[in-house]
Amino acid sequence: MDYIAMTTGFILILIGLFGALTNRNILRMIVAFTVADTGVNLVIVGVGYMRGRTAPILDSAVAAADAVARIIDPVPQALVLTAIVIGVGVTALMLAYAYKLYEKKHTLDIAKFTELKW
Amino acid sequence: MVNAIHIISAALGAAFLLGVLKEEQRRTAYAITLAAFAFMTAVSAGWLWAFVMEGAAPVEILTAGGTPPFVINLRMALPEAALTLLANLTGLLSAIYLKEALFAHGRRAMAVLLIAVMALSGIILTRDIFNLFVFFELTAIATGGLILLSENDCSLSAGFKYLIVSQMISVFLLIGIIFAYHATGTLNIDGLATAAHDLLQGNNQAALGLKLAFFLMFIAVVAELKPFPANGWALDIYESAHPAFSAIFSAATASAFLYATDKLLFIGGPDWYPIATGIGIVTFVVSNLLALPQTNDRRQLGYSSIAQTGLVLLVLGQRDILGEATAFIAFGLLLSHAVAKAGLYWLSGLVAERELTAWAALRERPLLVFAFVTFIAMLSGLPPFPGFYAKWELVHLLAGADRLVLIALILLGALVEAGYLFRWFGYIIKREAPAEAAACTTHKLTAVVVAAAAGWALGFLWGDLAGTSFGRGNLLLALPLLFALGFVLFDWLPAWVKNTVAIAGMLAFFGLTYTEYDPLRLIFAIIILIGGPIILLASYHAHGRRIGFYPAAMLMYAGLAMLIRATDSFGFFAAWELLTVGSYFLILRGKNSEPHALSYIVFSLGGAFLILTGFALAAANVVSPAPTFALASLSQLEQPAAPWIFVLLAIGFMTKTAAIGLHIWLPGAHGEAETDVSPMVSGILLKAGLYGLFVLLMTMGKQQLYGIELTHALLWIGALSALLGNLMAIFEEDAKRLLAYSSIGQMGYAVFGLALMNHLGWLMALMFVINHYIYKSMLFLSAGGVAKRTGTRDMYKMGGLITLMPLSFIATLIGIIAVSGVPPLSGFGGRWIFYNAILTTDTRLPLIIIFLAGPIAFLYLFRLIHTIFLGQLKDEHRRIKEAPFWIILPQMIFVALLMVFAVVPGLALRHVDHYLNQFFPEGGLNWTSGTITSNYGYWDPIAIMIIGGVIFMTLFMWLLFVNRKAQKVKQFNIVFSAERPYRPETTHFAWNFFASYRKALGFLVQPFVTRFWGAVTDTLHTGADLARRLYNGNGQTYALHMLAFVSIIYWIYFIGVGI
Repeated sequence: MDYIAMTTGFILILIGLFGALTNRNILRMIVAFTVADTGVNLVIVGVGYMRGRTAPILDSAVAAADAVARIIDPVPQALVLTAIVIGVGVTALMLAYAYKLYEKKHTLDIAKFTELKW
Repeated sequence: MVNAIHIISAALGAAFLLGVLKEEQRRTAYAITLAAFAFMTAVSAGWLWAFVMEGAAPVEILTAGGTPPFVINLRMALPEAALTLLANLTGLLSAIYLKEALFAHGRRAMAVLLIAVMALSGIILTRDIFNLFVFFELTAIATGGLILLSENDCSLSAGFKYLIVSQMISVFLLIGIIFAYHATGTLNIDGLATAAHDLLQGNNQAALGLKLAFFLMFIAVVAELKPFPANGWALDIYESAHPAFSAIFSAATASAFLYATDKLLFIGGPDWYPIATGIGIVTFVVSNLLALPQTNDRRQLGYSSIAQTGLVLLVLGQRDILGEATAFIAFGLLLSHAVAKAGLYWLSGLVAERELTAWAALRERPLLVFAFVTFIAMLSGLPPFPGFYAKWELVHLLAGADRLVLIALILLGALVEAGYLFRWFGYIIKREAPAEAAACTTHKLTAVVVAAAAGWALGFLWGDLAGTSFGRGNLLLALPLLFALGFVLFDWLPAWVKNTVAIAGMLAFFGLTYTEYDPLRLIFAIIILIGGPIILLASYHAHGRRIGFYPAAMLMYAGLAMLIRATDSFGFFAAWELLTVGSYFLILRGKNSEPHALSYIVFSLGGAFLILTGFALAAANVVSPAPTFALASLSQLEQPAAPWIFVLLAIGFMTKTAAIGLHIWLPGAHGEAETDVSPMVSGILLKAGLYGLFVLLMTMGKQQLYGIELTHALLWIGALSALLGNLMAIFEEDAKRLLAYSSIGQMGYAVFGLALMNHLGWLMALMFVINHYIYKSMLFLSAGGVAKRTGTRDMYKMGGLITLMPLSFIATLIGIIAVSGVPPLSGFGGRWIFYNAILTTDTRLPLIIIFLAGPIAFLYLFRLIHTIFLGQLKDEHRRIKEAPFWIILPQMIFVALLMVFAVVPGLALRHVDHYLNQFFPEGGLNWTSGTITSNYGYWDPIAIMIIGGVIFMTLFMWLLFVNRKAQKVKQFNIVFSAERPYRPETTHFAWNFFASYRKALGFLVQPFVTRFWGAVTDTLHTGADLARRLYNGNGQTYALHMLAFVSIIYWIYFIGVGI
C-alpha cells in the first residue's frame, strides 16, 4: 500500500509539473499545480505510513503506554495538514490573480503577459 | 528582555486586530500597524544591544512547553538579532513610506505587510525545517499580495510569475523535508545537522537518500535567492512592484533567505560549499553584466540586488577558508547591500519617471544627492563603508588560499557594478533635469535619510570591528577624512568661507605633521598640502555656495594626505580609493565631463582592484605574516610571486599616471574640468600614481618575469607615453586638452626616469614631480583664465591677447620655457639631470624615443604662445579684460616659485639626493657651493640664469631697436572679397597647424587605444543585451529556467562531482 501511495504521489507530481510547464492557459496551470500539490501530500503521508500500525489517536483503543509501538508516525500527518492548508491559500491567491489577469487583458494565455522582460 | 517570540506574536496580534476594525478606521489601523512595527523593531534592537553591549548568551525559545525535537524552537543570537532588526526596521520604514498606498488600500494591505515582515523574522528565528517551510509559504503569499500595492498594472503578471515559481519551490522543499525527516527522524535543524553528519559517514542507501533530500531542500531555498538563470520572476517584481515593497524584497527578504541558506549549509556541511560558491559567483558576475544595458532604474536595481545576494552566497560558500571572518565579511556585504538597496528603492519612489536619466530630478536637492552617493559608495564597496572592509578581508583570505580565479571574477563583477552605478550618478549630475524636481514628502524623506544615516553608522561600526578583529584602522577616525566630511555638513556656507577653511585646514595639517616625513615624502607632502592651497586661491573667484565642490576636493586631498602617510597596505589602499572617489566627483563637475568622468572612475577602480589583488598576494606570500602588511615588507617578497605582484601594482599605479594604453580618460577628464579643478587633478593628483611607483620600486626594485626585466618594460612604457602623449598634444586645437595630452608625455618622462633605476633617474623623476606641479598648474590656470574670458578653448578662435591679458601671457611664456627644458628655468635642470641619468644606462632604443619626444614638446608649446597671445586680435575679443585676480594670483606665485627653484634647485633636491643614497649609493650629485657637479659635467643655475637673462635682454633690446620704425597694420585694412566660408576655421592659419606633421606621423596618433577600450565596452554591452533576452517575460519560460537550474545543479553535484 505505502509504495503504491508513494509511487502515485510522485507520478502526480510529475504530471502536475509537466502540465504546468506545457499548458499556456493560466487556469490549467493552476489546476496542474494543485495536482502536483496533491502528489506531494500523498508522498508525505506515504513516507509516514508504517505497515500494520494504527492511526495516531490516543483513546480507548490505543493506550498511551504502548502507543510508540502501535501507532504510525504522527508527524507527517501533522505536516500534511499544514501543507494542505497552505496549498489552499496559495491556490486561492493564484485564482484571484487569474481573475485579475483576465480582467486586464481578456485572455488567460500566460504568453500574453510579457510586458516585463529583459 | 522581551521574549523574541513576541516579534511574531505582535505582528499576528496586530493583524488580527486590524481584521476586526471597520474599513473606514484607516487612521487607527495605520497607527496599529506602525505601533506593531515599532514594537517588533524595538524587541530586535533590544536583543542586539544585549548581545553586543552586554555580551548576553544566545537564547533558545521553546514553544508548546516541550523541548526540541518534539516542539518547534526559535533561536535568538547575535546574527538573528541583527537580521530581525534589519527586517523589522525596513518594514517600519516602508510602512511609513507607504502611508498613502496603505490608506488607499485599507487595513487588509496593512495586515499583509505585517505578516510579510513577521514571516521574514520567522525565517530568521526558526530552527525547525518544516516551520521554515511554513514561513516560506507565508512570505510567498504575502509577497503575492504586496506586489499588488503598485500603481504599475504590470505588477499583476509579475506576481503571478512569482507564484508559479514559488509553487515549484514548495514542491521541492516539501519532498526534501519529508525524506530528510524519514532518514533522520527529526525536523530540528541542529538535529538534522548532527544526524546528517553521522549518516553521511557511510556510503549506503540511506546516505544517498539523505543527499537527495538535502539537495531538494537546498535547491528550494537557494532558488529564493534568485540565482542565475532562474531569476526572471524576481526582476519583474523589482521592476513593477511598489518601491517600498521592493525595498523590503531586496533588503529584508534576501537577507532572510540568505540566512535560511546558511542554516541549510549548516546541515549539508562542507560538501555543499563549492556549489554555493559556484551559484554565487555566476549569479554575481552575470547579473552585473546583464545590468549594463538597462535603462529602467528599478530593473537595474533588481539586477544589482540579485548580484549582491550572489556575492554573499559566495562568501557563505567560502567559509572553509574564511573561518571566523565569515560573519564579518558576509554581514559587511549583506548590510551594505540591504541598507543601500532599500535606500535606493525608496529614492526611486521620489522620481517620477523610470528612465535612469530621469533621476536628474534629484539634482536640485543636495540631501538626496548625498544619500544617493552614500548608497552607491556602499554598493561599490568604497571606503569608509562596511563593504570596503569586507572586500579587503575577503580578497586577502582568498589570496591566502590561492583562489585567484575567484578573486578575478569577484573584482570583475564589482567593477562592472561600479561602472553602471557611477554612470547613473553621472546622469543625475549632468543630464537635463525634468521640469519638476523630486517630490519629497516628509515621511518618504525620513526613510531615505534613516537609510543614509544607517550607512554611515555601519561604516563606523565596521571600521571599529576591523580595528579590533584584524588590526586595521577605522577610517572614520582619520583626521583628514573627517575634515573632508565636515564640508558636507557645512556646505550651506558661502564658497569663500569654505575656501578659507579648506586652505587653513590643509596648511594646519602640514604644520602638524611636517616633521614626520622623510625627504622624499616631504616633497609630495609639500605639493599636496602647500601646493593644494595655492591652487585653491584660484577658487576664491567662484561666487555663491558652490555646492558639492569642497567635499569632493577635500576628499581628494584627504586621500592624498593619507596616501603619503600610510605605512601599511590597508591604509595605502583606503587612501587610494578615497582620493579616486574625491577626484571623480571633482572631475564630474566640468560642463561636458560626464563620459570622461565615467571612464576615469572605471579605469581608476580597475587599477585599484589590481592594487588590491597585488597587496593581497603580497600579504599571502610574505615570509612572516602579520595582521597588517607594512609597505616596507614588499621588499621581502621572493620568486615566483614577486614579479606578478610587481606587475599588478605597477599597472594599478599607472592607471593614475595615465601611461599609454591606460590614458584615454585623461584628456577629457583634465580638459573638461573646471578652471581651478584642472590644475588640481593634473598638477597634484597625477603624482599619486608616481608616488605609488616610487614606493613600489623603492621596495621591490628590479624584478624579472619570464626573463623580461620589468623595469625595462616600464622604461619602454615611459618612453612611448612621452612620445605619443606629446604627438597627440601637437594635433590638438583645444588649449586645455593640449595641456592634458602634454601631461601624458610628462608623466611618461617621470616613469622613464624611475625605471632607469639609478640615482639620477630618480632625482630626475622627482624633479619632474615638482616641475610638473608648478608649470602644469600654472598653464592650466592661464589657459582656464583665457577660456573664461574668451568663452572658448579652441586656440584658433583666439589670438592677439598679449596686450589684453599680459599677466596670463607672462605665466604662459614662463610656463612653456620651463616645460620645454631650455635654460634658464628649472625645466633645464630636469633635462640636465636627465641627460646625466641616461648616460649611465645601457638601454638605447627607448632612449632614442624619449629624445625624439623632446622637440615635439616644442611644437605644441609654441602654439600656446603663438596662437593664443600673438597674431590678430579677434573682433569679438576687443573688450576682453585680464583674467580674474584670483586666477592670476596663483599663477604669479608659480612664476616666482619657478624662478626660485631655477636658481636654487638644491633647496629641495639636495636633501632628496642625499636620501636616495640609501637606494643608489653610486652616482649622486655634488651640491657644494652654487654649482652642481655630476660624473659628466656641472650645472651652475645662477650662471645660467645670468647668461640667459643677458641674452634675452640683448635680443629684446635689439628687437625694440629694429622695430621702432615699424608701421602698424590694422586688422581690417585688407578687404575680404570672398563669401563667408562655410567652416570659418578652415581659413584660419592656426587651425590644423601641424597638418604636414600629421601626414607624416598621424598614423601614430590614431585612436587605437580608444577604439580598443571602446570595443571592450561595446562587446560587453552587446553581449549583455543579447543575453538578457533570456528573460522573455513568459512565466512558463521562467519555470523552465527554474527546472534547468535544478537540473544543472543536480548534474554538477551528483554526476559531475561523481558522488
